[in-house]
Amino acid sequence: MKRRLYLSAAAISVLLFATVRARSARRPAYGGTLRIEIGAAVNSLDPLVAAAGPGEADAKAEIDGLIYERRNPDGTFAGMSGSGPFRISAWDPGKHVTLAANDDYPSGRPFVDSLDIQMGRSARERLVDLEANSADFAEIPAEQARQAAAIGVRISASHPDRLLALAFLAGRPAAQDQRVRQALSECIDRSAVVDFILQKEGAPAGSLLPQWSSGIAYLFSTASDPVGAKALLAQIGGSPSLVLGYDSGDSFEESVAERITVDARAAGLTVKPQPMSAGNGAGLPDARLVRLSMPSPEPGASLQSFLKTLVPMAGLDSLQLPTGASTEQIYSAERAAVDTYRVVPLAWFPHVFGLSARVMDWRAPDPGESWPFVDVWLDGSAGNLSEKGNP
Amino acid sequence: MTFRSKLFWVFTLALIASVALIAAGVTIVTRQAFEQMYSQHTDALVAQFQREFDQRKRDVARQVRVITDEDATVRMAIALSRPQADASVYVNDATGVSQSHQLDFLDFVGSDGSIISSAENPERFGYKLDWLTQPVDWSSLGSFLMKLDTQSGPAIGLMAVSSVRVGDKNLYIVGGERLGRNFLGSLVLPAGMRALLYLNLDPGFQAVNLLDQDGPAAEGDRFAPFIDRTRQNPVPGTFQVAAGPDLARTEEFHAQPLLGRQKELLGVLLVGTSQQEMISIERRIRTLAESVVAIGLLISLLLSWWGAARVTRPVRKLAVVAREVSEGNWNARVEEKGGGEIGQLARAFNQMTRQLSEQREHLVQAERVAAWRELARRLAHELKNPLFPLQTTVENLQRARTGSPAQFEEVFRESTGILLAEIENLGKIVGRFSDFAKMPQPELASVDLNEIIRGAVKLFEAQFSAVGRPPITSEFHLAEDLPPIQADAALLRRALENLILNAMDAMPAGGILMLRTTREKGEVHLEVSDTGTGLTPEECDRLFTPYYTTKQHGTGLGLAVVQSVISDHGGRISVESEMGIGTSFHIYLPFKPGIRPMPAPLAETREVVGTQKA
Repeated sequence: MKRRLYLSAAAISVLLFATVRARSARRPAYGGTLRIEIGAAVNSLDPLVAAAGPGEADAKAEIDGLIYERRNPDGTFAGMSGSGPFRISAWDPGKHVTLAANDDYPSGRPFVDSLDIQMGRSARERLVDLEANSADFAEIPAEQARQAAAIGVRISASHPDRLLALAFLAGRPAAQDQRVRQALSECIDRSAVVDFILQKEGAPAGSLLPQWSSGIAYLFSTASDPVGAKALLAQIGGSPSLVLGYDSGDSFEESVAERITVDARAAGLTVKPQPMSAGNGAGLPDARLVRLSMPSPEPGASLQSFLKTLVPMAGLDSLQLPTGASTEQIYSAERAAVDTYRVVPLAWFPHVFGLSARVMDWRAPDPGESWPFVDVWLDGSAGNLSEKGNP
Repeated sequence: MTFRSKLFWVFTLALIASVALIAAGVTIVTRQAFEQMYSQHTDALVAQFQREFDQRKRDVARQVRVITDEDATVRMAIALSRPQADASVYVNDATGVSQSHQLDFLDFVGSDGSIISSAENPERFGYKLDWLTQPVDWSSLGSFLMKLDTQSGPAIGLMAVSSVRVGDKNLYIVGGERLGRNFLGSLVLPAGMRALLYLNLDPGFQAVNLLDQDGPAAEGDRFAPFIDRTRQNPVPGTFQVAAGPDLARTEEFHAQPLLGRQKELLGVLLVGTSQQEMISIERRIRTLAESVVAIGLLISLLLSWWGAARVTRPVRKLAVVAREVSEGNWNARVEEKGGGEIGQLARAFNQMTRQLSEQREHLVQAERVAAWRELARRLAHELKNPLFPLQTTVENLQRARTGSPAQFEEVFRESTGILLAEIENLGKIVGRFSDFAKMPQPELASVDLNEIIRGAVKLFEAQFSAVGRPPITSEFHLAEDLPPIQADAALLRRALENLILNAMDAMPAGGILMLRTTREKGEVHLEVSDTGTGLTPEECDRLFTPYYTTKQHGTGLGLAVVQSVISDHGGRISVESEMGIGTSFHIYLPFKPGIRPMPAPLAETREVVGTQKA
C-alpha cells in the first residue's frame, strides 16, 4: 500500500512537473530579436520626405507606427521622442534598420528586445528565408500563400482588406462607350482570378467593399457573362481595342492583366496589356489596374478613401459620403460607382504574413493598424533557430 | 580586199568559230554537270533537313512522353481524378516543367479539355481545348503542327499530346516547340544553306511572317509570289529568288509546305541554297573559256596570217609579175616551183607571157609597117597633088621653049607662078606634119572653159551662115557654176577649133552644133555634138589614129592633135556616133592636171577609143 502511495506520489509529481514545464513554455518571455524582412527599401523616415512609391510609403508607415504613436498633423513629433514601442538603434537607409524595445513605452515594454528589419528583399528571397528559418516575419504576396504553406511556412492572413479593381481612366476616348466598359466587366472571370492567380487567397469582388466589412457585397454580382459581353460588342460593331495598364513591377497585376486580355479576346474585345512605370515612355492607357487598401475596418471610412482615389482617376461623378454613413448610403455610393462601369472591382485579397515557428502571439493587423509587435514574443524552444542575420 | 586578206579572214573566222564552238560546248557541258551536281547537293541538303525536322518531331513527342511518365504528373492526374479536386494548386506547374524540358508550349489539360496549367499562356487556365477531347489516338499520332493562340498573338507549334488515365479521367499533356526563329536557329544546316520559315497566320502574304534565325527575314516581299503559289497549291516545289542584278546572289529555294492535322497549310519551310558557289564556278569557267577564246583568237590571227601569207605567196608573186607584164616588162617571169595548182598556174602564166610577148612583137612590127605604109600613102597622096601640077608646069615650060619661044616669056611667068604656089603648098603640107611632130607642152593657167568655147565658136559663126552654104546653128548648154580649170587656153582653143571644123565637115547639109559643159566630181565635162552624117564603128575605132582621115583632103592629124592636147591636160576624150544621126565628142578635163579622179588606165584607154551607139 505504502509502495503504491509512493508510486502514486511520484507519478503525480512527474505529471505536475510536466504540466508546470509545459505551462512555463507557453508563457510570454522577454528577449530575443525578431528578424523581419520587407520588400520595400525605405530611404528616409522623415515624414517630410516623400516616398518613392506606394510600396515604400506603406513600409515607411509600418516602421513609423512602430516608433511613434502620436504625431502632430504636420507629421512632426508630438511629445517625447519615440513614443511608440520601439526606438531606432541602427539605421542604414534603404537596407537595414534595427529597432530596440522602448522601455518607457506607456503600454509596457515589448517582449522582444529588438526588431531587425532587412529592406529590399524580394518575395522569393523572403519566402526562401522563411523556409530556411533565416527570418521570423515577412509579408508575402497573397498569391504565394498556398505555396508558402506547402513548404512549411506558417501563414497568417488578415481579412481581405485590399481591393484590386480596374479603372477606366477619365478622358480616354476608347472607353467612352459604356457598352465597351460593361462588356469588359462582364467577360472577366473573377473566380478564375481568385482561384488560380490568388490561389483562393481572396474573394471575387463585385463591389468596392468586402462582405465582411459592409455586409452588402453579396448584392453585387461577380459572375462573368461572356455571352452578354459578346452581345454588347455585337451591338457596338467593329472591334473595340483597349490598352490596359498595370504596375510593371507587380507580377500579380501582370497576371490579372493577361487573364483579362484572354477573357476579353474570347469575347471579341481586343485588350493590350501595357506595363506602366515612371518614365517608361509608354502612352496613357485606356484603363489600369489599381490596388486599394482599406484604411479602416469601418466601411464608410474605407469607401471614402477609395472614392478619394477613384473619383479623379476614373472621372466618376463626385460622391458625397457623410461620416458615419448608413448602410443604405454606402450601398448607394457603391452602386453609383460601379454601375457606370468606370470602376470594375475584381478581387479582394488579404495581407498575408509568413511567420517562423518561434513567433508567438501574433495576430494579423486590422485595416489601418500597424504591425502589432508589442505582444509578440519569441519561443526559444521552437525550431532550430539561428540568430545570425541575413546577409 | 586582197586575196591574202580574204584568205586571212577565212582562216581566222574558221578558227575563231571552231574555238568558240569548243569553248561554248565545254561551258554548256560543264554547267550542266555543275547544275546536276548542285541539284543533287540541294536534294541531299533538303533530305538532311527533313531528317532534322523529323528528329525534332520525335524529340518533342519523346519529351511530352517523358513528362507524362514523371511522378509529379501521375500524382497530379491522381489528385485531379478525385471528386471536388482543386485544380488551382497546379496552375503554375506547367511553367517549371516546360523550362526543365526545354519546351516552348506545355499545357496540363483536364479530362474535360479545361486548361489546368499552361506554360505559354498561364492566364488561360480554365479555358477549354475542345480539339483535345476529340476521339484521336494521340499516342500514335506523334508530333504534328498546329496553330496556337499565345500572348503575343497566333503562333505555329510543333506539338505532341500524351495523356495519363486515372479511372475514367484523363490528364492530357500537350507540349511542343514554337515554330519560329529559335526553331530555325536550332537546326543544323550545312554551310551555304539557310532555312526560312513562313508562318501562314494571315489570310494573305505578310512579309513579317517570313522568319529567319534573326527574326523577320530581310526583303521578304521577294518571296511573296512563291509563298502565294505554295499557299494555293501546298505541294513541295523549287524556285529561284534573285537579289538584284547580281546573279551570284541568287538562291534556289526548296519550298516544303507544313501541314496541320487537318492538312491545312500552317507554314512553308524554305530551304535555300546559295547559288554563289555554282555561279562563281560558272564564271570562272566562262572566264577560262573567254581566255581560251582570246588566246585562240590571237593564235588564230597569227596562224591565219602565216597560213595566208604562205598560201598566197606564189599568187602574190604571180600578181607582181602580172603587173610588171602589164606595165610593159614582157620579160618578167614567175618562179615555177612545185607541182601543185600554183606551180601549174605559174608555168601556164610564163608560157602565156612568152606567147603574148611574141605576138606583141609581131603586132608591133605589123603596126609599125602599117603605120609607115599609111604615112607613106598619106605623104604620097599629099605630095602627089602638088607634084602633078609641078610636073605639068615644067613640061609646059619645056614645050613652050621648044615650040613657041615667043610665048615663052608669058608661059614662063605663069608657070613660075604656079610652081611657086605649089611649092608653097608643099611647104604647108610639110609644115602641118612638122607642127604635129612638135606639139608644145601646155602652159597652165586658170581659164574659163565656157569663155574658150564661146570664143572658138565665135570665129566660125561667119562660116556657119556663109552665103551658098546650108546654115549651121550653134547651141550652147554651158554650166554657169563651172569652176575655172588649170589649162592652156590656146591649146584648148586649138583642139576645140579642130572639133568644130570636123563638125562643119560632117554637116554639109547644115545642122546643129551643140556644145554642153557640166560640172562633175573633180572634173568638167565638155560635149561637142553635131547632127552630121555620123561615123561607122570602124571609123570610130581609128578616129584618133594619126594620119587617119575620112575626108578627101584631110591630113588625119586634127583629132590626133585634139587627143594629144586633152591628154597633155590630164583629160580623156571619147566619141559616140550613129550613122545618119550625128557624132558626139566627150572631153573630161580635171580641175587641176595631175589630179585624175578616175585614174584607171584601162578605162581611160577604152574611153579614148571612140564608141558607137547602136
